[in-house]
Amino acid sequence: MKEITLEMAKKALEASERWAKDIAGFPCSTAIVDKAGAVLAAHRMDGAAMATTDIAIEKAWSAVAFKVPTLMMSRWLDPRNVGELLGDHAFGMVGRGKGRLCFIPGGIPITDDDGEVIGGIGNSGVPSGVGDISDTSVSQAGLSALYD
Amino acid sequence: MRITLDIAKRMLDAGMAQAQKMGKACSIAIVDQNGWLVALHRMEGAIIPSADIARDKAWTAAVFKLPSFDISKFGDPSTPGFGLNAQNWNDRLTTIAGGLPIENGSEVIGGVGVSGGTPEEDVIICQATMAVIHL
Repeated sequence: MKEITLEMAKKALEASERWAKDIAGFPCSTAIVDKAGAVLAAHRMDGAAMATTDIAIEKAWSAVAFKVPTLMMSRWLDPRNVGELLGDHAFGMVGRGKGRLCFIPGGIPITDDDGEVIGGIGNSGVPSGVGDISDTSVSQAGLSALYD
Repeated sequence: MRITLDIAKRMLDAGMAQAQKMGKACSIAIVDQNGWLVALHRMEGAIIPSADIARDKAWTAAVFKLPSFDISKFGDPSTPGFGLNAQNWNDRLTTIAGGLPIENGSEVIGGVGVSGGTPEEDVIICQATMAVIHL
């Protein structure tokens, strides 16, 4: 896998939507961006809140921009981590990236066989904290479909 | 009738098929009756800004309940809406052809926007997506 095609993006979205519907039980939005962070495909499931589409796109963009899952980025801002990880300097990143940087878990970078980031997947609409059910797990379901 | 994700995806597929027939790489966006994005696809080779332009066209068509090109008439001093184009009150407003309202009878249920070809080609691709609604 060297780059993400629209066909692959659609396959990943289908897998994440199936997971969201059958296992998580929450309608949500999922987005796939390419290595530039530009949207390839975005879907909002029936019943998902309207704002989730943009948040999903921003999570995918943020994951590509920093080349880490947004779950990791959320840890940077956790007050319990002050003095560790990036410390309190991380707060300076809030609102950066023309307001697009999103520090909410649910965005994951997509890497090729050499570990290069070739895109990102983002999900929004699933409340976290219900066992394994979260935005991140829905994104992971889409991500794993890319490597089938 | 409402725009469901399933209908939106079938509309995108119909539009993409038309674009491929015309040899064009484009982005297509489907929004609901309030202008909120339901589905957006960008084909291989379509330029990056085409995704946002398609979405803007779809938004404009859905909320004004008019083809996006018709909004340009508001820039004509002889029409009552003169000045709307210069207000810049919402950065999604666009007057470029290629956005059409999705109509079910007399009711507007959403909007479709296409960007990637010339505005004329974008309108043809828009019309192709409507085949899903008007079976």
